[in-house]
Amino acid sequence: MTSIAMKRRRATAGRVWKEFRDSREGMIGLAVLAVFVLLALAAPLLADLRELNPVFARAQGNPQWGSPGEFGPLGTDHIRRSVWAQFVWGSRVSLFVGLAATLLTILIGSVTGIVSGFVGGKADGALMRVTEWFLVIPFLPLAIVLASVLGRSVWNIIFVIGVTSWPSTARLVRAQVLTVKQRLFVDRARSLGASGPHIVAHHILPNVSGLILANATLAVPISILTETTLAFLGLGDPSRASWGKTLEEAFVNGAMVRNAWWYFLPAGLGILAVVLAFTMIGRTLEQIANPRLSRSR
Amino acid sequence: MHPGVTPLVEVEGLHVHFGAARAVDGASLQVAPGEVLALVGESGSGKTTLIRAIQGLQKPTSGEIRVEGESIDTKAKRPIQTIFENPAVQMVFQDPTGALNPRQTIYEIVAEGLRIHGQPEDETDRVAGALSRAGLRPPERFFQMYPHEISGGQRQRVVIAGAMVMQPRLLLADEPVASLDASIRGEILALMRQLVDDTGLAILVVTHDLGLAWNIADRVAVMYLGRIVETGATEQILGDPKHPYTRALLSVVPETREMEQQILTGEIPDPARIPDGCRFHPRCPLLQSGTLVADVSSRCPTEDPGPVAVGATSAAACWAV
Amino acid sequence: MTEPLLTVRDLTITYHGHGGSVPAVRGVSFDIEKGGSLGLAGESGCGKSTLANSLLRLLPAGTEVSGEIILGGQDVLSLSPGGLRAVRWTSGAIIFQGALHALNPVQTVGDQIAEPMLVHETTPSQTAAGDRAIELLRRVGLPAARADSYPHQLSGGQRQRVLIAMALACDPHLLIADEPTTALDLMVQAQVLALLDDLKQERDLTLLFITHDLSVLTYACQRLAVMYAGRIVEQGPSWEVFANPSHPYTRALAAAFPTIGDTASRMAPSGLGGDPPTPGSLPEGCPFHPRCPLAEEGCLVSEPELRSSGVERSAACILV
Repeated sequence: MTSIAMKRRRATAGRVWKEFRDSREGMIGLAVLAVFVLLALAAPLLADLRELNPVFARAQGNPQWGSPGEFGPLGTDHIRRSVWAQFVWGSRVSLFVGLAATLLTILIGSVTGIVSGFVGGKADGALMRVTEWFLVIPFLPLAIVLASVLGRSVWNIIFVIGVTSWPSTARLVRAQVLTVKQRLFVDRARSLGASGPHIVAHHILPNVSGLILANATLAVPISILTETTLAFLGLGDPSRASWGKTLEEAFVNGAMVRNAWWYFLPAGLGILAVVLAFTMIGRTLEQIANPRLSRSR
Repeated sequence: MHPGVTPLVEVEGLHVHFGAARAVDGASLQVAPGEVLALVGESGSGKTTLIRAIQGLQKPTSGEIRVEGESIDTKAKRPIQTIFENPAVQMVFQDPTGALNPRQTIYEIVAEGLRIHGQPEDETDRVAGALSRAGLRPPERFFQMYPHEISGGQRQRVVIAGAMVMQPRLLLADEPVASLDASIRGEILALMRQLVDDTGLAILVVTHDLGLAWNIADRVAVMYLGRIVETGATEQILGDPKHPYTRALLSVVPETREMEQQILTGEIPDPARIPDGCRFHPRCPLLQSGTLVADVSSRCPTEDPGPVAVGATSAAACWAV
Repeated sequence: MTEPLLTVRDLTITYHGHGGSVPAVRGVSFDIEKGGSLGLAGESGCGKSTLANSLLRLLPAGTEVSGEIILGGQDVLSLSPGGLRAVRWTSGAIIFQGALHALNPVQTVGDQIAEPMLVHETTPSQTAAGDRAIELLRRVGLPAARADSYPHQLSGGQRQRVLIAMALACDPHLLIADEPTTALDLMVQAQVLALLDDLKQERDLTLLFITHDLSVLTYACQRLAVMYAGRIVEQGPSWEVFANPSHPYTRALAAAFPTIGDTASRMAPSGLGGDPPTPGSLPEGCPFHPRCPLAEEGCLVSEPELRSSGVERSAACILV
């Protein structure tokens, strides 16, 4: 029987894909994202990692503040490193942190939301107070404090973003769980003798997963921007290139004053493009999941 | 009911109060094996609250519920698991579309009960059998379908199949055909009647539709403002009712022509402000007609006739009877 | 015979959506004389609500409507927007189903009843409109104090009465009642039907009553028409059609609501197999034939026209 169920799941996925294909917005977003994902994956083929090392760069005889005409597609920075290498390798960190942090956010948020919404009562009250506490605390100071205390590494950044972003997901999921809980088929499942975990697994989760997916897709750009912000403030991982770090270094070292646009523009545009791509995909998924939002009425 | 036969469901003195609102205010009833009891009333009568309490979806304030002789612990903190864990009692709902999880296939929906109570080896056969008996043939055609791909009537059949696959002895049905098209009502009701004839199933059906009771019920219990005010065999209740409320209700059914219409004034009172004495007295046409003798009519506004007792096969809660 | 107040000829209504075209009403014709009453019975998908809304051109933009609707001598389908506004509510008014969404939840009931009067300027001032609203509330059996209530504070029966009061605000000639008692309890339904009957007599109203409950129509209307798959399949004097149907569908519909006391229906619920057809995909020939107990070969050939089945009666069935 599970094979028939699998077949139906594939058919549903096929339907979703077809609807997605019809949306110009979604397809553009997907295409842009695909380009950057390929870029990130193909980094070793596109740029030498050693180019990120200022000692190596100097030894290579790279110019300082070289413009794109003088050196490579995107020129060099203040310590002679290839900007193209930073862009390509930086995309990895930005995307990876964005996705990993979102995963953490969604995990904590969904579990909290589902437990809170489904169990209700005192547990719900307690969890909601914790959620509100996190929501009320201003994000940036908290992130700065955590980053300073935990140290500046990629994993800590992921942790910081995850830990500060989960509350809004939790509230969203909880609201949806409360709605689904009221539905008659949950009563029916109860009347059949279903236990709490069974109801959550078979009835709550499947009707909440669409929302979670759409929310996740929209949370990724937020995570990426957060990483960028943190890196820009100097809290990023010093040992790795990231777009945020590029922007920080460009700013700190006077690239704007020098008009060395090749240093900060690519990273900035890259972030913009990826964020937009995820937003477009997320909106399309939302429209598919909730046809009432669709503009084609 | 023969003495010595344990009723499948017995409700005694049930109260369900929401603060000051006494939705169910001392109701008692019984359902014998193989019998169809129609619980009839308007909205505000408490019939839905009563069946939800029996289903375990609503915690009663006081009173006793016994299923197959075993008393349910109505004070338990968690929903009344005893009923749920007893596959002998199953349910059919008013809204067949809402009762089905849109993300489950028909097969999964019908098999769910079986899987919860332990995975039987012949699951596929049992699911096919249940769908088939519910009129969905050939059953295999429906296995992979989703609820939105079938019609309203078919969805209700799926709900019934999902209940029947558990081989229940009692079916609790809340307005099973109210949201279905008129022309398919009959088929679903015929199916339910056939299940009773074939399997000895008992059904407690809640409805506002007296015609439904005429179609399938052996006995009828009439509810008003939280209490059962009259009960008896269908022919008797719908042929020659004793309680003035039942008489009035019957008179306004569009399909009954022989009776003169007695349109009551106003609506069922707020369950938080139940009238003194007989709760029906402010609207009672019999009382208003002035034809009652003084020692009866003087009791109506002051003395409560009390609910119809459990085990009463034919009774009406009225001083004039 | 007097000139009919409402004449409908060959009305055809097709919805156009991105799913395709859906023919909801396919060539319906009927008359209602002034002061008369016609009941329209049918189930989901038969087109009766679409038809009701089309009489005042309340269908969504882009819906294709052809045929004739003559109300009080005016051709509704060719009225200008100004002319249409003038006709709405003053010549004909609709009573919708009394669900919460038929009333504006943030306006008091009194204001909502007064609104059409102000829009059509049938009263000299706002106070006069308010007074008349209270008058109408009283007439439909609600206390004057209710004018300041909001819809959610009223029961289903009370909301239905408010909708009736609203429909009467500008003294229309034609009252279209779209499933007015469907969601109501038996006793409340009886009260509302009695009220409608009183009002009809009192104001010499013409009534078009739409419902799926055939037996209600025998009480409320002189004549009735049964709709199936966008067409009228039987019409005639209501009590006669109910007691002695000519069309197999009418027979099934009538049998769905058993007569209490009739031994034939005791423990014998009767219904039809299959489901009401979806307007977009009708069977060939007679649309009822897949579910018809009397179907024969000739039924697949073509869709039968209405033919006489008695005095002032007709039915669309080759067996008539």
